[in-house]
Amino acid sequence: MNNRLRVLRAERRWSQADLAERLGVSRQTINAIETGKYDPSLPLAFAIARLFSLRIEEVFTPDGEQPLPLQIT
Amino acid sequence: MEAMCRAYTPQDSRNLKIFNWWSIGTAIAFAGTTLLLAGHWIERGPIAWGLAILSVAAAFMMVRSYMVFLRNADELLRKIQLEGLALGFGAGALFMLGYRLFERLGAPKLDMVDPLPVMVVFWAVGQYIGHRRYSGGGDGK
Repeated sequence: MNNRLRVLRAERRWSQADLAERLGVSRQTINAIETGKYDPSLPLAFAIARLFSLRIEEVFTPDGEQPLPLQIT
Repeated sequence: MEAMCRAYTPQDSRNLKIFNWWSIGTAIAFAGTTLLLAGHWIERGPIAWGLAILSVAAAFMMVRSYMVFLRNADELLRKIQLEGLALGFGAGALFMLGYRLFERLGAPKLDMVDPLPVMVVFWAVGQYIGHRRYSGGGDGK
């Protein structure tokens, strides 16, 4: 699964530790998701999407699929 | 080592510390009771039974604290722990089954608790491998 977590985090100038603290997970979890080594659980994926005020498919996309364009609300 | 440190949330660290204290307590209780009984420092009576029950109670609390740690652990940490436990359990089972064959060929007889260190060592090795697999490659910032 692909994701744009690193880009979204960088846009907000958050460190991995900042994001981990906001989500209540470890820094290693954030790093593993960003590097594609670990796919988060559904509750965590929803929590990530909600934190960035995005739909889940705007953050995560299956392998080989283009990410959905961000919707400006 | 750094990867292992950043794998823990503050809650995980607290729960792990509790587990570590119970592990130390259990080790001291078992080693102490065994030494007292083996050295005939205490008679086989109510006191010896009390110490033995106390050791088992400490071991129960150790297992319970690990369950609390695992249930509340960060989701990646839980996955790493389960992979470590799988490797430890598998290595222990393999050792028990394999060594039975070696015993038949003349290897020294082992005690029933001897596979335990094998399980613990491979549990630790499994955790190390897991932490290595899921870390690295990030900018960390």
